[in-house]
Parts: sequence; C-alpha cells; structure tokens
Amino acid sequence: MSPHIRGGMSIEKMMRTFIIGLIPTAVVAIYLFGIKSLIIMVLSMATAVIVETAIERITNKRPTYRDHHAILIGLLLALILPPSVPWWIPVIGAGVAIILGKLVFGGLGNYPFNPVLVAWVVLKLSWSDRMTLFFEPHTQTQILTPLMAVKEDPSLFYSYDMLELFLGNKAGPIGTVCGLAVLIGGIFILWRGIIRWHIPLSFLLGVAIFSAILHSINPDVYPPVIFHLISGGLLLAVFFLAPEPVTSPVTPKGMLLFGFLAGVLTMIIRMWGAYPDGTFYAILIMNAATPLFNHLKPKAYGRIESA
Amino acid sequence: MGLFSKGIKLPKKRLGTATFDLIETVLPKRAVLPLKQYIGEPAQPTVKAGDKVKTGQLIANGDRDNALPLYATISGKVVAITEHLDHKGTTVPAIIIEADGTDTWIKSPTEEENLSSLAPLEILERIHKAGLITKGLLPVPLVRDLVPVDQPKTHLYLTGTRVVKKIDTLLITALDPEPSLRANRYLASIHNEELSYGITALKLITGAERTLFVVDKNSPPCPQLHDMVAADEEETTGITSIDGRRFPVGLSVPLLKATLGREVPIPYGHPRDVGVAIYDIDTVVSIGTSVHRKIPQVDSLITVGGGALSKEGIARIRIGTPIGELIESLGGFRENPAKIILGGPMMGMAQYDLAIPITKDIPGLFALRRDEIQLTEGYRECINCGLCVKVCPVNLVPGMLSMYCARDRFEMAEQQGLFSCIECGCCDYVCPARRPLVHFFRHAKNQLLEG
Repeated sequence: MSPHIRGGMSIEKMMRTFIIGLIPTAVVAIYLFGIKSLIIMVLSMATAVIVETAIERITNKRPTYRDHHAILIGLLLALILPPSVPWWIPVIGAGVAIILGKLVFGGLGNYPFNPVLVAWVVLKLSWSDRMTLFFEPHTQTQILTPLMAVKEDPSLFYSYDMLELFLGNKAGPIGTVCGLAVLIGGIFILWRGIIRWHIPLSFLLGVAIFSAILHSINPDVYPPVIFHLISGGLLLAVFFLAPEPVTSPVTPKGMLLFGFLAGVLTMIIRMWGAYPDGTFYAILIMNAATPLFNHLKPKAYGRIESA
Repeated sequence: MGLFSKGIKLPKKRLGTATFDLIETVLPKRAVLPLKQYIGEPAQPTVKAGDKVKTGQLIANGDRDNALPLYATISGKVVAITEHLDHKGTTVPAIIIEADGTDTWIKSPTEEENLSSLAPLEILERIHKAGLITKGLLPVPLVRDLVPVDQPKTHLYLTGTRVVKKIDTLLITALDPEPSLRANRYLASIHNEELSYGITALKLITGAERTLFVVDKNSPPCPQLHDMVAADEEETTGITSIDGRRFPVGLSVPLLKATLGREVPIPYGHPRDVGVAIYDIDTVVSIGTSVHRKIPQVDSLITVGGGALSKEGIARIRIGTPIGELIESLGGFRENPAKIILGGPMMGMAQYDLAIPITKDIPGLFALRRDEIQLTEGYRECINCGLCVKVCPVNLVPGMLSMYCARDRFEMAEQQGLFSCIECGCCDYVCPARRPLVHFFRHAKNQLLEG
C-alpha cells in the first residue's frame, strides 16, 4: 500500500523529543532545589511506568512503555510539583495521572484532559496545604511565590527584579521557576516540529494583551505584562502542557483560538479567581472545549458548500 | 511564482538517487500488451496467434466508445492472446508478442506541416488513433479527457455550440507527480520539436486563450520554453516556476490551486469545470508527435530508480516490456530488493510478479531496498497531533477522517470532505502513530461508491 516510504516520525520519537526538551528545565530544577527534586522526578517517572505496565498486564493490553509517554507524564508532573512535597505525593500523582488521566479513557490518543493536569488537580484538592508550600531556591526557607505574594498585596510586584524572576530566583514548582530553561526547551521542540507555533504564541498573546489592558488601566494594582509572562507555570504550560497532542486542537484556527482563550482564562483566574496561578486550570477547561475547536476546519479543496 | 506551502519536502535519502541521465535499454524479447490500459472498454484484437506483426502495426482496434486502438510495440510474432496480470492486480486480456529482434516498422512516419488548417475533430481523431491516455490514478483515453463522454463532439467550443464551461487556460506542467519521478523535468530541460505542435493542437481543441507553463524552480528548463513565451506577441503565454521538490505540488489539484488559485470541485470534478486544461509536458509532446507525424505511441518515458537497481535514471522503453526484462536490461539488481513499485514511492503500487508489463499509465519503476521502505507493522490510535493537518495539500483533517473510516462511519467521512482526498500519502508519511490513512480513505471511498 502506498506510500511506500515514510518520514520516520513515531510516537516514541515524538515523546522522546518532548523529554529532551524538558532536560534543561530538569537540570536547573536539580540545581535550584537540590537532590530532592531529582528524587521527586525519579519517583514520579518510575511510578508512571510501573503503574502503566502493571495495568496493561492485568487488562491484557499490549505494553506501551516503549513509547516513552508514561515517562513524559511522570516527568511533567514532577516539574509542576513544589519542592517541599513528601515522597508519596509524586507517587500518588503519577498513579492518578496514568490511571484516571490516561488509561480509563483507553490510553494514549483517547483521553480528553491532560493527564498531568488531572493528577495535579487531584493532588491540589486533596493536599492543598502540601501543594502550596514553596521554598526559596538553594534553601529550605519557606516563602511565597511571586503570584501568591501579589495576590495578597498587589503592590508587591514592584519589589521583584524581572530578570531574576526569569532566570529562576524565585519560589515555585520545581520546573517552572527558571523561564530561560523552559524557553530553551520550548524553542527546541518547536524547531523539531513536534508542536506548532500556534498555541504557544496565541497563549502568550492572550496573557499579554489581557494584562497590558489591565496594566494600562491601573499600573499600581495590576502588574506589568512581563511579570505575568514569566511568573507561575505559564511558560512551561505554554510549551509543554497546552500543546500536548491528544488534548489540543489540530486545526490552525482551532489552535489559535484555544491558545488565546486559555491565555485570557489564565489571566481571569489570576486576577479574580481563588487561586494565584490559573494557568493549569485554564488549560484543563480549554481541554474540555477541544472537540469544539476542531470544528474550525480549513475549507477542503473543491468543496461546494451546500446552500 | 506559485505558492505552495503544504505537503512535504522529501529529504534526499527518501527522494531516491535517480538522475536525469537517459539510460539506454535494449528492446524487450517479449511484449505483453493488455487490451485495456485505461478505464474504459478493451480494444478488439485484429490479429490472431501466429500472425507476424511489425512495430507500429494495429493489432486491436478501438472503435467502440471509450476504447483505444492498440499497436504492436516490437516486431515479431503474436504468440498468444490470453489473460494476463496487470499492475493493478487484475487480469486483463492481452496480446503477447515475441520479438524477432529486427524492430521493423510498418511504415516510415509521415510529417504534416500545416497543423493549424486541421479541424479539431481531425486532431482528436489522430490523438485517438495514437492511443494516448491521461496520466494519474485513473487513466482514461486522452480524447475522453479532452471531450467529456456526456457531451457529444458537437459541443466542442470550435464547432460553435455551447460548452458547459469555456476553457480559458491551458496549463502545461513540467513538474512530475512525485519528486522521485523525473521524466517531465527531463523533457522540459531538452529541446522538443514536437512540443509546439502539441500546444497548437491542444489550443485548437480546447479553445484556451492563455497558455501557462509551470516549471520547477530547482531544475532550469530548456530556453525553448522561454523563447515560446518571448515569441508570443499577444502575451497570452506565461511561465511560472514553483518548488517542485515539495510533494505533491505536481498533482493537478494542488497545482491548480497554487498557480491559478482554482479548486476542482468534488466529487467527480475535473479541471475543465474550472476552465482549465492541464497536461504534463510528456503528454503534450506525445500529442504533438501523434498529430504531426501520425505515429502511434509505442514507447513511454519512465523513471527507474531505487537503491536495489544497478542503474538509475530515465529510460525510454517500449510499452509492454515485462518488469523483469526491464530490470535485466538495466543491469539487474545491485542488492536484494524489498519492494518493486510501479509508479513513484509515494503513490505507486507494489508488484509481486516480474511478468507484469509496463503499460502506458506507468510513470516509473522503483526497486527499493529494505532500509528505504517502511513496512506498516501495526498502528496506534490517532494521537491527535495534527501533523497530518499541517501537510494535507487539500486542507482535510486526515486524522479525524481516518477515525471515521476505521469505525465504518463512511457517510460522516464523506461529509468531512473525504472525496477531496487525492491519495497523495503525505498524511501517512508524517503520521507518528503509523496509521495507514490512505488505505482507510481508499477503502471508505470504495465502500461509498459501491454502496
């Protein structure tokens, strides 16, 4: 059957590229938060692979650990956990991601919500105190993340140095503090063609436009655009969580709208929601609407729209 | 300059290593000539087993509607008229000729200089007599393509009666259907005496006022084409270049969109429905030859390639040459072939019998090594990555379509534009889940057309 040649792209290769794109972030996380973050990552990845293989064996399915997707889920989940979590949080989280997020829907390709974020929400709702305990880099000193601080006192954003926030001198989930590392990985996966530019760009634009409007209305209460772009889990989400293949739209128009609305939603939650960072919730909510966005198809050639 | 941003750019290692060199081949010892090498009615044999025939001699007449005459492509003896396997996997009646090795022609080709005084019907008659067909997935007699079946010949533009849609542009493409095939780009790079006759004939038949050449910007065409554009004082001839390495820009549907911005309507649409007659340079040269010199088509220009062949390039071979004999005259296999394909690696058909003959509709022969092909060893669920949407040249959402097709929801697939699919295989090529998308689409189309 034609075609007789293929481009050599595979799920395995795709997931591997995602993982390679996350390596800078993971290395910086270990540098900033010490060996503890390595333990979180290893526990999370190992649990994901073991749980997936075990369940596939029990249910008599073909094992899929070779496609590296479980490892990717584990790694991504670890990267959005605070450095303070006890060992069982990543274990439970990875289990939830694989079982509730992925396998109950039929595995890779079928789940409606990003499994990583499903697990994150479960953890956040179940152990909210442990999930909101952040350390200052290189120390065990407990401090607030910039977004949490600003939520309590909006004028505080003047006390932050934007370059330091971008480079990682702030509190937050282990994989989200260093914007530079995430950006390098993000550009890498964009260059490899694993994700397309539509979602990251429109997501960032959504956040930027919304925050620019707010900032121009009242610069004392609303932080500037750059603060919103580099704080919280935004950059990691924009490159690695929102464009996740299964749960994001496939058509160009759909992707643009998905990203933009997710950006706007992120800002709405950040500004008026109960949580300091709305990025992950915004993506989950937009995931639910993905089938809808997929209706924004380009017009097939030669199609005469019936009157 | 035409724009075409979708599709795929084949990397060098997948493009094949065929060159633009013309390879000398020896005459086949045997020619297998199927009575039907197109979609339509078979020709009626006028010879019987044991008859001696000369090259170019009529051996089956094509007087019926949708039939084409058939000519001996080598001189020799008719050994049998029997059922034979063709490259589509069907058995067709075929005339088998054993060569006498002399290649004596029935008559020396005549020349006719004053072409413009010919009536269009006379031109059509000569094209019909030469036995020309169209290229592509569904080859039909060229006359049928020029004058549709449902319209009587009196509906011709030139005879004064109205046509459904007037053809305003004659598009002559020097691009190949696949970048791995090279015959058209080769023909565009050399001087063809018959090209201008072919263009004149096509203009007379179609009534097109404008002629547009499409050339590959990576392989500069022969000055002949530019001269033709320059010589046209009324400025109705144009030339446009396009990146021919980007597959499938050479196929008529994406090419029409890229050069003229017109979309062939689906289903059952034809370029004439948007006022265009589109032919590749190989066909135009054949038309020129048939009209100008009244000689039937006995050979065709094909690309031979693939890592398993000793010689790669372009070869002019006699129609009816069995694959095995062709490969032998190319020097045999250099390495063990994993797949032998008639057509290009993207859209061709794999063959299982070396006795299958090269017919008129075959643009190439590829013998690929094991490391050059990708066998489908099971596929996964669609992961919704959207890579197929990015490459689809006709703006479909192939992944979603494939899910409808895999679950037998063919009507749903049709609603989503299934019939726009030109089966180019770009979605298959990029799919990380290794889904056989084109296979799904073909199956669904067949089911819908039969049901």
